[in-house]
This record gives sequence, structure tokens and C-alpha cells, in this order.
Amino acid sequence: MTVLAEGSYASPTGQEIVFVLLGVVTLAAAVLVVTTRRLVHAALWLVVAFGALAGCYLVMSAELVAWVQVLIYVGAVVVLLLFGIMLTRAPIGPSTDLDGANRPAAVVVAVALAGVLVTVIVDGFRTAYVPSARASSGAGSAETIGAALFRDWVLPFEALSVLLLAALIGAIVLSRREIGPAETDARRGGGEGEG
Amino acid sequence: MSTHVLAAEDLSGFGTDPWWLIVIKVLFIFVFLVLSVLLTMWAERRILGRMQLRLGPNRHGPFGLLQGLADGLKLGVKEDLVPKNVDKWVYILAPAAASAPAFISFAIMPFGPQVSIFGHQTHLQLTDLPVAVLLVLAMASMGVYGFVLAGWASGSPFALLGGLRSSAQVISYEIAMALTFVAVFLYAGTLSTSGIVDAQERLWFAVVLIPSFLIYMVTMVGETNRIPFDLPEGEGELVGGYHTEYSSMKFAMFFLAEYVNMSTVCGLSVTLFLGGWRAPAPISTIWPDANTGWWPMLWFIAKFAMVMFIFIWLRAAMPRVRYDQLMKLGWKVLIPVSIVWIIVVATMRALRNAEATTTTWLVVVGAGLAAALVALYLWDRAAEKRREAKETAKEQEFATLKAKPTAGGFPVPPLRAAHYGSAVRDALEAPRPERGTSAKEVTGA
Amino acid sequence: MDISERTVGVGAGAAQTGDAVSAKDMATEDMVLNIGPQHPSTHGVLRLRLRLDGEQIVSAEPIVGYMHRGAEKLFEVRDYRQIVVLANRHDWLSAFANELGVVLAVERMLGMEVPERATWARTLLAELNRVLNHLMFLGSYPLEMGAITPIFYAFTEREYLQAVMEEVSGGRMHYMFNRVGGLKEELPAGWTGRARATVAEVRHGMVRVEEIIHGNEIFRARTRGVGVLTREQILQYGVSGPIARASGVDFDLRRDEPYLAYGELGDVLRVVTRTEGDCHARFSCLLDQVAVSLNLADACLDRLEALPPGPINQRLPKVLKAPEGHVYQWTENPLGLNGYFLVSRGEKTPWRMKLRSASFNNVQVLKELLPGNLVADMIAILGSMFFVVGDIDK
Repeated sequence: MTVLAEGSYASPTGQEIVFVLLGVVTLAAAVLVVTTRRLVHAALWLVVAFGALAGCYLVMSAELVAWVQVLIYVGAVVVLLLFGIMLTRAPIGPSTDLDGANRPAAVVVAVALAGVLVTVIVDGFRTAYVPSARASSGAGSAETIGAALFRDWVLPFEALSVLLLAALIGAIVLSRREIGPAETDARRGGGEGEG
Repeated sequence: MSTHVLAAEDLSGFGTDPWWLIVIKVLFIFVFLVLSVLLTMWAERRILGRMQLRLGPNRHGPFGLLQGLADGLKLGVKEDLVPKNVDKWVYILAPAAASAPAFISFAIMPFGPQVSIFGHQTHLQLTDLPVAVLLVLAMASMGVYGFVLAGWASGSPFALLGGLRSSAQVISYEIAMALTFVAVFLYAGTLSTSGIVDAQERLWFAVVLIPSFLIYMVTMVGETNRIPFDLPEGEGELVGGYHTEYSSMKFAMFFLAEYVNMSTVCGLSVTLFLGGWRAPAPISTIWPDANTGWWPMLWFIAKFAMVMFIFIWLRAAMPRVRYDQLMKLGWKVLIPVSIVWIIVVATMRALRNAEATTTTWLVVVGAGLAAALVALYLWDRAAEKRREAKETAKEQEFATLKAKPTAGGFPVPPLRAAHYGSAVRDALEAPRPERGTSAKEVTGA
Repeated sequence: MDISERTVGVGAGAAQTGDAVSAKDMATEDMVLNIGPQHPSTHGVLRLRLRLDGEQIVSAEPIVGYMHRGAEKLFEVRDYRQIVVLANRHDWLSAFANELGVVLAVERMLGMEVPERATWARTLLAELNRVLNHLMFLGSYPLEMGAITPIFYAFTEREYLQAVMEEVSGGRMHYMFNRVGGLKEELPAGWTGRARATVAEVRHGMVRVEEIIHGNEIFRARTRGVGVLTREQILQYGVSGPIARASGVDFDLRRDEPYLAYGELGDVLRVVTRTEGDCHARFSCLLDQVAVSLNLADACLDRLEALPPGPINQRLPKVLKAPEGHVYQWTENPLGLNGYFLVSRGEKTPWRMKLRSASFNNVQVLKELLPGNLVADMIAILGSMFFVVGDIDK
């Protein structure tokens, strides 16, 4: 980590201002996700939050991470969420039963988690100033990230892959038709044979 | 990582344009896309007309060239209906969400090499990124929101199902599409579009990576919801798909998005597989200057138009597949084949990087071929066994039914009832003739 | 079929059609979907009420009658000349064949002998009408599958034939060319030559129709093994015509109870059958029947040209009364059996004239055929039942 002395928080550059603004957008959108009374709108605010986060990465010249964020989170994860909502229930207009009894507990957990993360980062960096990576030879390029991922961080990467595999298998097990009582299959077969 | 394989990523020529040049380029891309949409619509209808023994639009302007414009104007002045139960915000947002990302993708499309514009040396490309192709994929996945939100916000079951279908389709085919790109990346050693075009200076990737190219051609049709994969617009089932409830300019936006998406995938196929703006082989060999100055834009547009023609050709020739067949093709054929192909390409690249000896090459290729042969043999054996089992089951069933026609428990009515005409009455006792398409002797009444 | 799909829930759309999701198992919630009377996948105003479990059809009910025009009742207050006008309208794609049944019935009641030239000309026109009808479905069925080109090919051929029919009868759709006792007018001079050229032209054009769609992989994948009708279902529901023959029910009135000149055309008349009984077999039947009909038309033209000149109709009295009695006259219409049960009390109008139309019976079998299939297959099946809504609703 190159920590340079010149530059400080006192006189922010344009990049830093954009970064802060994007952060504010992310935060506001995230709050709206949990407060809006419209289910699909909540998912859309989540898109805004993820998009703004991708913007943050872009400002930090981490281009690969930014576009992967858009591709995976915005383009796939939230779309799948929307699928789930729309295939079960997605009323047009506000829903009344969105607030559960766990709301206070959830607030506590969320605030505690945010507190821990902020403390760690503030404690880790203090007043250190890290300039934009663009000047210091593409730290966010595919090559750098690929090398880091498959050399330094290969164990966590593989562990996460196993986690995903487990989730995949779980999904298949949950959606298997044959596990349930046999009557549904009988009905289907009957329809074909007679019909 | 050995550095001699990877093309040196030199993007220093980008991001240095003065503001007026950027404005010119943005305007050019916008005009290019809008014009290509209008011309594609016209060409599509004229070519379809030719293929279907009719004329196609020929009244507005020379050869009917202004037909697209007239249609656009007509859509613009139509009444903009908003159904009562829609979610207003999302309903209005959806068309914009569909068309805006479609335009952005073209920012990284290389139209040509460096040229001089008003004394400024610049690339014929708005910008390039080290991860430019990822941007196209990201924008394609953003476009999905247009479909899914339009379907939901309309508050109609047809639109909802159509929206879910098209977005599921686009997402599925995007995976296969991205996998075809991986092989290109492995060969080019870069994700930037200008780098990929440079890597094809000697040989097109469509030739080197022909499986990738073929899979890409299929996925690009699926990605743009065109025949034979135009399920969302499967009229009989879903009326108009996600844009059933849209009219006027909002509908025009969806229409625009569809055609701009077509332009994007065509441009991408030219850039990634067909050598980009470089002139095709015979031209560049006899005319060395073909790849300099403004000429490359001609080659780019010519290739672009040819890929677009394939879309139109397909539309004239093909019926629509069924939804489950579409998904089966995407997930069970295209994706596994791409993955296997990537492994093959990666192995070849790795061997070349390691500067493997001829023996290693022979061993690896031989082992691969042997494995493939064994797999093929096993598969063939299994198929043969299945076929035999099926045949025996069939014969058995025939045997039982012959012995006792009511064996299945089904009440069999007299198959040759007397009132079915006097001629067959005689045939009652006679052995039943072999049926099929063969002619039957006619005895008359 | 090895199709397996599952329903995750019922969706916002289905929430409007039924009550709330049952807490126990959301997947079993059925959705009622009305296809028609105004829907792109129906031809005209046939309505289908489908109950869906996800994308699978649980039950289907054809609801007919939106286009009921009371044709049978109207027959009772028309004299026999006027009935011909009405009768050719119920199945507007086989107008000539519909007229034919009425005049044959009246001629049988009267015991009238029709001039030989009229019989051969009628046979010829009936076969050309069959080709016209089949071409319509050969074009529109692929269109429902998303293939847009075949319909233009089919309509090009139709146009050639229409010109021939128009020249002889003056009509393009409702020919009104049959009269009790023969045909309305003498055939125009030189018409047979032009008809022969057109038949050759159409035969040539059929290759084009066949090549673009019949062997297409996607078309096969969507129609093979889909919507299989068994012999038993066909016999029980009274399904007839090319649909029945596609399931191996080898029954064709032209051969089995010959009328007109079909009895003498035995060596040309090939009854097209298939055994598979699926959508593809039905389509193939139609395609092959066109070829057979064109051969028959050529044979008829040969005979017509060889026949000595003579009258083509009978002189009729001013008031045409059928004697008291009843007769059932059925003909092999393009879409299946078309029968008229004529009961006369010796007046100039029939006392009752019952119409047995092909499409009515053919459509009823949908109730058995559709359940168990996917909605996407419904399009393929519905299109392959080759019906005309006017023929269902009468």
C-alpha cells in the first residue's frame, strides 16, 4: 500500500467529491430499500444502491470490479430477486404487511454491523491518504486482480466456490419433484395417458 | 505470466481527446445507431418482401427508404394510453431502462484505426477500457430491467409472463454468450476491443475459434429476442409479450431498443470474431492501404450489414421454438459446449506458453482424442441398449394387444363399423391391409 | 414427452383470477385462462377456457356459438335455390363443397340425372376448392409457429387458383356455381387449358411450400409427438377428414362411398393416411392431399376435354319442389365429413335441414387432446385441428 504524504482531506479533489456523493446515494438508496412499502420498488432501490457502489469502484479506478458489480449484482442478482417476487406475489401499490416483528432486532444488528465495519476502516487507515490508483499503473485492471485472486487469495476464493456449490446443490434438492409424495406424478401421468 | 503472448495493452491513445471531438463522436454514434435502426427496418421489410414474393414498402421516398421514418412519426402522434392499474413510475421508467443501455454499449465499438480529425490524431472509437467487453455485457444485463419491469408494471398476466420469459431468456443466453467471449479473451490476451481487433490482424477469430463463433451466432439471436427465439412476442401464447400494454412513444422506445440491441450484437460479432474494421483478406493483400485512413469504416459497416442480413434471413426462414426447447438449448447444449471448448483453448494456450515439446503436444492431443473416443463409444453403447429396450417393449405390447385387443383396459369400439360405407363391409373378414401412406385399392360402391 | 416444468407460485396476474394463495401448497393453485373469443391464437371467435397448472393445461373446454347464425333455421324459409347461397357460407374456405352437398341432396330427392359434363366439372371444381382450402391452412399453421414466409408462398399459389375459379364462377370465395341439376353456366372457352396450366403451376409451387417448412428442424421439434390423437378418440368423437386420416383412420367418402365422378377416378385417387396422429402427421396429410387433389384435377380436365359437347345443367321448373321424404347426403369436404339431412314435406322449402359440419366434431376432441400439454403446445395443436369457426358455429 503506497501511502503518500502529499494531498489531504482538507482540500478535496473532484474525484473525492464524486466519491462522497455516490456514497450518500448508496446509503440513501439502501435506507429506502428497507423503508419503502412497495415490494418491487424496494428491489429497484437496491439496484440504485448497487449501481452507486459500482460508481464508487469506478472512481477508485477499479474498473473490473465496477463492471463485474454491475454485471453480477445489478444484472443478475436483483433480476433473480425480482423473478422471485413476481412469481410469488408482487402487488402493484403499497403492501401493508411488510414490517415484521423482528424490525427492532434487525435495526440493532444492522447498526452494530455498520459500527464494526466503520470502526475497522477508520482504525486501519486513520488519516492516511491514498491517491487515485489511475496514476499508479492500473491497480484495478483485470491482470492485477486476477493475479491477486489466484495467487494471494486463492484459498478464500476456493472456499467461496465450495459455498456456492453447496448452495447450488441445496437449490436442486429443494426443487426436486420426486422427493414429495408420489400422487402429483400420478396425476401428471394420468393426464397424458388418457388425454 | 509470460508476457510475450499477451498483446501489450496500449490504451494511451484513448482519453486524450478534446471535448469537441468527444461531442462529435457521441453524436456520430447516436446518428449511426438511429440511422442503422431506420435502415435495418427498411432493409428487413424489403428483403423479407423479396423472400416472400412481394414488394415490401416502396412508397415513401426513393425505394421506400423513408418508411421507417414514417412509422416512427405515426407512433409518435398516436395516443399514449396508460392503463388504469399500472405502477406509473415503473411503467414510464421501463422503456427508458430498455433503450438507454442499448445505446451505451456502442461507446467501445471500434470503427477504425487512428485518423486525423481537424488535425487531431484520434481513434475512430469513443473510448476504450481495459475491460471494454465487460461493459457491453453489463449493459446487456441492464437492458433486462426494461423487459421485466415493463411486464410487471403493466398489471396484465400476459405482459408479466412475457416479461419474465424474455428476461429469463436474455439472462440465460447471456451466460453462453459471455462464455464464448472467454475463448476470445484467452487468444487476444486482452478485454479491450481495440486490442482484440489488433490481435486479429493475421487471422480472424471466427476462423481460429469457430465453435465460439457459431455459439455466439446462436446466442446473439437469443439475446435479442429474434426469430427463432422470439418467444416473448409469441403472439398466440402471450399476445405481444412485455410490451402488450404500451403504445405510442413508449412502444417506439422498446422497438428502438430491440433494433439497437441487434446493432450492438452485430457490431460485437464483427469486432470480436470477424476482424473488426480490418479489410477482408483478398482486399488487404492486393491493396495495402485498405486498412488506413477512413476506409476501415467501410469494411466495418459492410461486415455489420452482412451479420444483420443473417438476422433478417433467419426471420424469413424459421418458425419459433418452444420455450422449454429454447431453455434446453441454452443450458444443456450451448453452455456445456462452450465450457468444454474453453478448456480445450486454455489447454492449448497453456501448452504454447510453456513452450511444450512436440511429444507433449502429441501426448495431450492424443489423450484428449482417446478420451473423446471412449466417451463416444460408451454413449453409443448406452443409446443402442436404450433403443433395443424400447423395441422389445413395443413388440411385447403389440403381442399382448394382438392376443387380446382389450388388454389395455380401454373399451375398443368396432373399428370398421358397417355404417362407414358399403365398400368396407366386404373387408371386414379380409386381413387388414398394411396401413401407411400407400395407396389403397378402390372398389367403388 | 420428457417435459418437466414447475410452478413456483401463482404470480400477480393469477392473483386477479382466483382467491388468495392457499397456505399449504402454492403450486397447486390453478389459473383460469381464456383463449378467445378475441385472442391472437384463435382463428375467429372460438373460445377456449383453459385451467392451467403453471404452464400445463389441466382441463380445456371449447366454448362455441359466438358466431351462430342459425343457418339451419334459415334453411327452412328459403327455397332450394336460395339455400345454396346460405349453405356455402358456413365453411367459407370450402364454399364449393358446401354447395355441392345441398344440390346433391335435392337431386337425390328429385331422382334427377345430372349431365355428365356437369358431374366432371363439379368434381374438378371441388378438387380445386380442396386445394384452395388446404393451401390456406398450409400457410396459416406455420404462421402460428412463427414462420412468416410459408403463408406468402401458399397465398401466391392460392391467387393463381382463385383466378381460375373467378373466371369460371365470378366469385373468389362464395362461388355460387352449383345449381340443382348441374352448374350455373357453361365453362368459358379455353378455360380448361388455363386451368391445366394453373394446376401445373401450383404443383410446381407446392415444392416451395414443402421445402421451406416441412423438413424444418424447429417445426419438427414443435409438432412431432405433440397432440397425438388415437383411433379410438377419433371414432368416438366423430372426427373426420385429414385429421382422422393422420391417425390412421383410413376413411374417405370419395373412395368409400363415391359420389360425383370419384368412382371412375379410382386409379388417381390416393387416400393419404398417416399413423402417428400428431400435429406433424396432420400437416403432412394436408400437404400430400394437395398433391392428390392436383392429380385428380388433371384427370378431370382430361375427361372434360374428351367429353362430347352437351348441356351442363338441367332446365328447372319455376317453382322447384322436392317430393315428400328425407335424404342424408354427405360429402368429403376439405375439412372432413359434411352432411345435409334434408326432410321435405313436398313444399318448395325444406321442412328441416340438418347440417353436420366437419369442424364442429373436430373441435370437440380438443377437450380430450389438450389436457396434459403445455400452453405453448396448445398453439401447435389448435392450429393443427384445421377448423373454420363458421363451420363450428353454423
